[in-house]
Amino acid sequence: MSATLTSRRIFIKKMAATAAMTAAMTMFPGIIFASEQLAGISEGNLDWKKGPCRFCGVGCGILVGVENGKAVAVKGDPNSSVNKGLLCVKGYHQTMCIQASDRLTHALVKKNGKYVKTPINEALDLVARKMKSTIEKHGKDSVAMYTSGQSTIPEGYVASKLMKGAIGTNNLDCNARLCMASAVTGFLTSFGADEPMGCYEDIDHADYFITWGNNMAEMHPVLFSRMLEQKNNRGAKIIDFATRTTRSSTASNRSILFEPQTDLAVANAICYEIINNGWVNTKFVEDHTTFSKGLTKMGYGLEDNYSFTDKPTKINFAEYKKFLEDYTPEKVEKYSKVSAKDIKYLASIYGNPNKKVVSYWCMGMNQHTRGTWMNNLVYNIHLLTGKISQPGNGPFSLTGQPSACGTAREVGTFTHKLPHGVVTNRKDREMAARIWKVPVERIPAKPTYHATEMFRAVDRGDIKFIWTQVTNPLVSLPKTKRYTAGMKKDSCFVVVSDVFPTPTSDVADVILPASWHIEKSGLYGNSERRTQYWDKMVEGPGDTTPDAWMTIEVAKRMGYGDLFPYSKENHAEEIYNEYRQFHEGAKHGMAPLEVLKKESGVIWPYVNGKSTQWRFNSKYDPACDNGKDFHFYGKPDGKAVIWQRPYEPAAEFPDKEYPFWLNTGRVIEHWHTGSMTRRIPVLHKAMPHAYVEFHPDDAKALSIRDGENVKVISRRGECVLPASINKRGLPTKGQVFVPFFDENMMINDVTLDAFCPISKEPDYKKCAVKIQKA
Amino acid sequence: MKKRLGIISLFIMLFIAFITVWNFSYEQGREEAYIPLKGSSLTPIIPSETGVFRRAEFALDYANMPFDKEHERSLETYYDNRAFHGAPPSIPHPIVETQNIGGNSCLKCHENGGFVEKYNAYTPVVPHPELVNCKQCHVAQQNNTLFKSGDYLKVNAPSVGDNNVLITSPPVIPHQIQMHENCLSCHAGPSAPKEIRVTHPERINCRQCHVLNNKEIKDIGVFIKEIKNE
Repeated sequence: MSATLTSRRIFIKKMAATAAMTAAMTMFPGIIFASEQLAGISEGNLDWKKGPCRFCGVGCGILVGVENGKAVAVKGDPNSSVNKGLLCVKGYHQTMCIQASDRLTHALVKKNGKYVKTPINEALDLVARKMKSTIEKHGKDSVAMYTSGQSTIPEGYVASKLMKGAIGTNNLDCNARLCMASAVTGFLTSFGADEPMGCYEDIDHADYFITWGNNMAEMHPVLFSRMLEQKNNRGAKIIDFATRTTRSSTASNRSILFEPQTDLAVANAICYEIINNGWVNTKFVEDHTTFSKGLTKMGYGLEDNYSFTDKPTKINFAEYKKFLEDYTPEKVEKYSKVSAKDIKYLASIYGNPNKKVVSYWCMGMNQHTRGTWMNNLVYNIHLLTGKISQPGNGPFSLTGQPSACGTAREVGTFTHKLPHGVVTNRKDREMAARIWKVPVERIPAKPTYHATEMFRAVDRGDIKFIWTQVTNPLVSLPKTKRYTAGMKKDSCFVVVSDVFPTPTSDVADVILPASWHIEKSGLYGNSERRTQYWDKMVEGPGDTTPDAWMTIEVAKRMGYGDLFPYSKENHAEEIYNEYRQFHEGAKHGMAPLEVLKKESGVIWPYVNGKSTQWRFNSKYDPACDNGKDFHFYGKPDGKAVIWQRPYEPAAEFPDKEYPFWLNTGRVIEHWHTGSMTRRIPVLHKAMPHAYVEFHPDDAKALSIRDGENVKVISRRGECVLPASINKRGLPTKGQVFVPFFDENMMINDVTLDAFCPISKEPDYKKCAVKIQKA
Repeated sequence: MKKRLGIISLFIMLFIAFITVWNFSYEQGREEAYIPLKGSSLTPIIPSETGVFRRAEFALDYANMPFDKEHERSLETYYDNRAFHGAPPSIPHPIVETQNIGGNSCLKCHENGGFVEKYNAYTPVVPHPELVNCKQCHVAQQNNTLFKSGDYLKVNAPSVGDNNVLITSPPVIPHQIQMHENCLSCHAGPSAPKEIRVTHPERINCRQCHVLNNKEIKDIGVFIKEIKNE
């Protein structure tokens, strides 16, 4: 016993000694207190400048600390209602990529197979000359531009004006086709108006969050942290419905796994249960919805020049009810691997009139060969129960890119789009012609190439000039093997604007050095319709130039100077003021620039100095004018559409030869193809390379150890990656998962370029592969 | 005759019974010696990911807790108790040597913590309460002597305050997380060493902002992108 007494005495002595030390050391620089973030204490002489984050579609407000003209710090903007001062690990470290040693600082022109540093003016001369001569020789439709959901609003706007208004071709598409196209067609078919009706404040009201194939803890981390806050404070519940166990599953109240592609059947089964149990909000359905069906067995777009146009037919409730009889929970459980009990559980959440439910989804539902259908089906659930357009109730399609909404969807950098409406609509063309001051005949009425088809056209030799901005298609396209080979062909002149060298710039004839995010002024629009403006914060190195200005300079050199009367210093503002005219009115009014400069973003429709947080609900939305509680004014009859959409199998599924599903996606540390985040040391160290995740049982059956190199092989290509077992995520048995950020391990060589026939968005989540030891 | 039939049918029945029993035990014998293990939980568990969210239900209490400056623990005592950075801490207080396993003894205090009058200190919280044979790894220091001296090199633990790259960026995680995936157990509450006590325990999803900087990785070479000339 004496021994223990001694140690106890030592222990107490130590405690006394350290107590004295504690008094001296109260604060450590590594720990930053929330209240002090606001007060600005102990931050030196930093000048904090406001803007949106460069990365995902959540659109967090950031403050960048600038000292002596250099960005040295980033913190969350406490005034932003999106993130309330919080960011994620990418957001906090974002500015560190600018200083990467291989930054593109000067234009590079390929001469005799070697890149030669060229003054920017000469490079732009060459681009304009080449574009002009190509049009003269091969026609307007032989040149194309491929831009991005990360382009700013002014960048997207001038690209659209140059291609559609000045040159007169619809050869403009963007990488948002790869991530949000199904969401757009989903909104348009169900409501006739794009973008979510609700806003992030729904999180503060909802009782249930149901996430459909969506790992929000990693991909929309700041929104997920807001959900976790509500879970702890109010007891809100998170239900994770997915094909892979992830960080989000482990943090949720309930995780339900399903077999890839069967989400279509499960959503229909939920509708069946809602109707069968009498949980339909009859008054809402009668007053505000109609029923339709479209064509089925549409195919998968695997062949070149594939085209499809849906033919909607009106049906009645009885027909819809009859159709759902194929989707009883008992029938669906057989192939979805979701038990009938779990399907009924999900239906009971949606069906409970006393609980507010928000559904969240992103790429799981959009990157789907039946993506438009899947979006429609989730809207069906919310429409049948009337849980839509109210605080805490509604379907919410999350966006991947920071301005997929603001630029790609609102400005319309798609082949079929105009800043307001679509090219096929005469009135929309007339409006564009009037604001752009061009003859209306110049804007072609027929859409041309969507993203996948655009690169097929390059491969076929139909497109002879392509200019990519703010995107890295040769890592992000599906089946990159074909498209990389296509881009290397001499038949096409390739211009790449970027901040860093990428596999896409590797095949360029001209590389243009672009300004990064905070080195230019611009505007982004996030998932909740929030438009955010930022002022240039630091000077870019060398000849770096904003993408919008490079487009304008090329337009001027091609002889369209009178259409682009903007000044170099203020072009972002001037362009925004011109663009605003397209959206005037209560349905899509954008806030004036002075307001955007003051606020941390403003939600549109901005009417009479007020943001509209919930569209289509007459309590909140001044555009509702039918005298009822709700008005879905996107449709001519003011009613939303409940669609009859069946289950159809995926374009490719596991068989004897290729026995595994391949699912691809992202990780919290990296942004898309990693060209920025891999140049940030903290992020690179935390996630240095891609991997292939196995279910432990599959790994055991194949006798694969964690970290061992394996080859993932499909009918299109192969990729060698180290195996990852029981780490970040856990795919279901018979499925493997690979993140796509790593250009050294190109999983998109393996993926399939099948797409949703309605939206033309490829399915990166499902194809068949086999596994070999490397 | 009846009697004979009775005896015959009795034997037939016995024979059938024998065949049945024999077949049954034969089939039993044919069963594989190895019966595959079945996972107990419906949702598969990923240890490194699940642990982060443990104790999340106490996060708000941690956030609202006033600081008890007088009884704060410091990193120095925290590391003093460990043979090296990352080693299981030894037991610094007298314990009654019994045959008890942790569930009945250690965990009574160390599962959720609390103030102990006797030691004038707060009880540290264990990050892995599911492992109940505590004394498998944690042993009491009965005595301060050495059997023979040695020159074991004690690697310095990572320092505090310099793990963030930008002045406002969140510090990285400078230590391995195996067995201590649950951040809140050491970084929140009154027993957390003051230098590493988090100011915002209510955030829960710690690794949204704080990432590992020492992942055990297979080297694939430095990532350097070079412009290729063709």
